Amino acid sequence: MRSGGGSRGGSGGRGGAGAQKGKDAGKRYFFRRRKVCKFCMDKIDYIDYKDVKLLIPFVPERGKILPRRMFGTCAEHQRKLTQAIKRARNIALLPFAAE
Amino acid sequence: MSDRTYEILFIADPELGETEVDNLITLVQGYVEKENAHVQRVERWGKKRLAYAIRKQREGSYVLIVADAKGGALKEVDRRLRVTDGVLKFIIVRVDEELRKAEGRRARRAKGDSKKRERPAPPAPVDAEEVEL
Repeated sequence: MRSGGGSRGGSGGRGGAGAQKGKDAGKRYFFRRRKVCKFCMDKIDYIDYKDVKLLIPFVPERGKILPRRMFGTCAEHQRKLTQAIKRARNIALLPFAAE
Repeated sequence: MSDRTYEILFIADPELGETEVDNLITLVQGYVEKENAHVQRVERWGKKRLAYAIRKQREGSYVLIVADAKGGALKEVDRRLRVTDGVLKFIIVRVDEELRKAEGRRARRAKGDSKKRERPAPPAPVDAEEVEL
């Protein structure tokens, strides 16, 4: 941690120690929003493979299925999502791979 | 045993005219009804672009048939669809179980909504732009 005496001394004139700490942290780390499963939020119980609009955000251009860590989908919904995407691919609603 | 619900989604050749597609639908519907299945509804989605080429076609007319049938009854439909001209591709999916589960979950939520799952609205999910691969 570099946020010890050195950094506090460097910009001591700017303000209180508390405010400064927050600022420092903002600089060094990305602010990470808490990811919450989209399907849990929207209360979607059944992920329909026919609903391309619903699925498309989870299939970026390359055609891959987005991993859970990107969207924060919960395990249950990710499983259903994967199933739905694979079905949709089968019937040419979604691509297997980018052309 | 009660019947299961199936979705039969097939892609008709885009070169077929309106009436030809109609004929095709009647034909497939006939296949289904022959197996003592009950057709719930038929949806025509019209011409859509395919995500990849099938038999060198870049588009196709989608038709959805929802039917109630006994387990295994659609085997013959599957076989026939394979050999039917004008059908580029098809998929038969059983949906009753999933829909029933979803229905149950919805009912449970409606009942005990105030108790649990009360969370403040979180921010929108991370943008897709961050996901460059």
